[in-house]
Amino acid sequence: MKKLLKLNVNGRVHPAYVEPWRTLLEVLRDELALTGTKMGCESGHCGACTVLIDGKAVKSCLILAYQVRGKKILTIEGLAGSGTGSLHPLQQSFLDHFAIQCGFCTPGMVMSATALLDENPEPSEDEIRKALTGNICRCTGYTKVVEAIMAARRKIS
Amino acid sequence: MPESDLELLKEQENVETLSVVGKSVPRIDGPEKVRGEARYCSDFGMPGMLHAKLLRSCYAHARIKRIDVSRAERLPGVRAIVTPDDVPDMRLGMHLRDHQVLPRDKIVRCIGQAVVAVAADTLIIAEDALEKIRVDYEELPAVFDPEEAMKKDPVTIIHPELPTFICGDPHFKKRLEPEMPNVCYHVKMRSGDTEKAFAQADLVIENRYSTPRIHHCQMETHRTFAWIADDGTICIRTSSQSKGPAVRQLADLFGVSPGKVRIICPYVGGGFGGKVGSFTFLEPLAVLLAKKSGKPVSLVLTREEQFIDTPHRVGVITYVKDAVAKDGTLLGRQLKIILDCGITASMATLIVRACTYGTTSIYRIPNLKIDSYGVYTNLPRTDAYRGFGVPEVTWAIEQQMDMLADKLNIDPVEFRRKNLLEEGEMDASGQRVHSIGVSECLDKVTRWIGWGSRPVRDGSWVKAKGVAIGNKFTVAGWSSGAIVKVYSDGFIEVRHGTEEMGQGVNTVMAQIAAEEFGTSVDNVRVIHGDSAYCPYDFGAVSSRCTYHVGNAVRQACHEIKRQIFQMASKRLGVEPDHVRLKDKQILVTGWPDRTIPLSDLFNREGLPITGGELVATTSFTGTYVPEDPETGQSPRSKAYYAYGAHAVEIAVNVETGEIKVLRIAGAFDLGYPINPKMAEAQIEGGFGQGIGNSVFEEIVIEDGVVLNPNFGDYKIPKMTSVPSNTDSQPFLVSAPHQEGPFGAKGLGEAVLVPVAPAIGNALYRGLGIRVMDLPMTRMKVFQALREKGMV
Repeated sequence: MKKLLKLNVNGRVHPAYVEPWRTLLEVLRDELALTGTKMGCESGHCGACTVLIDGKAVKSCLILAYQVRGKKILTIEGLAGSGTGSLHPLQQSFLDHFAIQCGFCTPGMVMSATALLDENPEPSEDEIRKALTGNICRCTGYTKVVEAIMAARRKIS
Repeated sequence: MPESDLELLKEQENVETLSVVGKSVPRIDGPEKVRGEARYCSDFGMPGMLHAKLLRSCYAHARIKRIDVSRAERLPGVRAIVTPDDVPDMRLGMHLRDHQVLPRDKIVRCIGQAVVAVAADTLIIAEDALEKIRVDYEELPAVFDPEEAMKKDPVTIIHPELPTFICGDPHFKKRLEPEMPNVCYHVKMRSGDTEKAFAQADLVIENRYSTPRIHHCQMETHRTFAWIADDGTICIRTSSQSKGPAVRQLADLFGVSPGKVRIICPYVGGGFGGKVGSFTFLEPLAVLLAKKSGKPVSLVLTREEQFIDTPHRVGVITYVKDAVAKDGTLLGRQLKIILDCGITASMATLIVRACTYGTTSIYRIPNLKIDSYGVYTNLPRTDAYRGFGVPEVTWAIEQQMDMLADKLNIDPVEFRRKNLLEEGEMDASGQRVHSIGVSECLDKVTRWIGWGSRPVRDGSWVKAKGVAIGNKFTVAGWSSGAIVKVYSDGFIEVRHGTEEMGQGVNTVMAQIAAEEFGTSVDNVRVIHGDSAYCPYDFGAVSSRCTYHVGNAVRQACHEIKRQIFQMASKRLGVEPDHVRLKDKQILVTGWPDRTIPLSDLFNREGLPITGGELVATTSFTGTYVPEDPETGQSPRSKAYYAYGAHAVEIAVNVETGEIKVLRIAGAFDLGYPINPKMAEAQIEGGFGQGIGNSVFEEIVIEDGVVLNPNFGDYKIPKMTSVPSNTDSQPFLVSAPHQEGPFGAKGLGEAVLVPVAPAIGNALYRGLGIRVMDLPMTRMKVFQALREKGMV
């Protein structure tokens, strides 16, 4: 049943033996030990499992690992370059603007925001809110998350 | 900060000299959380780990006639099956011990209740095994409506053994109503003579309000992981917000010493009260499976299970009758509060009491009578939810206040001000008021919202403003411990026993310790979350961490400083009270040239020159005086209150009934803010959760079946559901508490309390309609408009 799958994650090719019906989320967490990507609902509603696939924000609970063969996957662990100890400007901005509480939604939020700023470096507040409407946070009320993205927008651009 | 408060604080704490406390230090858990490196319960694996699934009841009330697991047992990969017969004969609970881990008495009491637990090599095998288990039931009558359930002759009695249950309340038996067998707790609050007040009043109004069951919607679902260590210690890694009480009860359940139960709570992905009592229904199942299989077991609930089987916020019905004089003086208030507790009321019994305190201590009410009832129903279990019953009752009280003001033709803000309690007054529960900043909170939000302007019509939309105030008490009496250690280079290690679930307790404790030692948070490490290495704590509940854990940490720091100053005084030949610490240096007052590094007090082995280690262990327990069971009166049943106010501007669509919250301000008197930005973030979190609770959140249940157990059907606020950043304004108001660390109080729950009635009051001011039963959905607003002939 299990087959060899090679996934390009965070700039490295990872081989894994997985069943064809496993989701990308399961494979990232259980096979590659990339647990920064969180499981919140498994139905695509909460956004805690958001990763980038060829630069687009995708909910990894809704896509099979086999569907992303040959594509470039970026998870929160690879955003700032793994092992560098540094932070991506968005990560730094989340920290500086107190946009983190329990932190469970944070990786997904940061990944969605990364995709947004890559595509639209100067989004308005309204555009930010619309782009991240698929990422639920129960702690922050979103104010400081939006503030952090707006501040990073200026730094990145 | 008002000048008088500042003076008080200056006198007590010398806040002007503070360098870390009172500053918005970045969260110390921020870097690992933002990198995705912070680890939560299910981010840890273990070789040979099994996966567990639970078979659930499909009946709301039924007798189990037979359970046959033989086919499931034969399935390859199934390693353990636990049935009700395998569960120790002991009931668990935070306050009322009414939980059975599985229904040992062979009665299922709600749809979704776990009946059998299976552990297998993979989740798929565990799920397959559930399909092969056969359970025969004999259906029993069920009751879902709490007002039906509390009748004298209910269609069914949910827990006939209720009088034999163990409860933390010594007066438990007095709280029962033998003629109403589904009433599991009745709390009375009596002050003055309400009948006399109603007879003398110029105006009496009476209404019924309700708030539905809602869900905490923590982003991390309930999950737990158990294994048995080589020495037999029961080890549990779990997503809980109250492991302290769990250690003792699980030790009793499994017949081992509390020293043989280790509970680890890594970072928790949101709690909001819903993870307080998870040890009563979740952790023991993983342990039983681990014991039976001899392997580590992971039990992770899905989002659907989260809605069906993890605790809901209690549904509450509130009847309010108010008496008032023509000049706007409140004369009396009578409340009957009914809480739908579901199948168990372990924590809900405390909510029956707690909800009364939202009423007793904000307005001057000379005559007050409250009867609050907790009622069992055949609906899922309930537990604490941010606010602990107070938002539910405030939904009634604060709309009632606007109605009274309206009928008396007095401005609702002025009407509130006239009746507000003041510092030093006695409240209706017999406790003296201290640290009350609600009047200033009201000033801040009304000024910001532009109070006084009339509603505006803009096409199909009507814009209007509303205000409400509220409070949340913190339970007195529960304990928190702290262990503080200082290394030879001045590095500080703080251990506490509470849970970091996003509220920021680790950062606050680092700030307090850094302040005490005159250093920065970079020189502090905070260790939390493991009962094997950290002291006892009751839990991250009741907005208690800053105050209780903070006081414990501070006391431990003081003890270590005392030891350091004694060593330094001997070394330097000066009195200990002439010595102080700053930047890892020991300074002598008036003698700058006698400064020595702290490390001079340690030998080459890194130990203090006097021997031993520089470690202090403390425990802080607030004073609690039990209340009189007949009157609810006590001079100290609450540690403190956080008070506050919300003002909103909403737009209502007169054709569809849709409510949009356009602007929102919240002001709260948190004592002295240890970390202002983190406090602001709590208030903003209250905006989001409060708006959701007000306009669309509800667990829809039909004949005991939860109809919306997912985020597609249960709506929670998204980024587009809340006002923009410029239209959201948090305010921090000072009202230092004389016993709080640096004057600080807790804040986490109060921030949710007045949101719903502020929106309800705005709806009335805009269109003259009220929705008495939350949430104020489009449909309900539309119906109210139609009843008024407006559509």
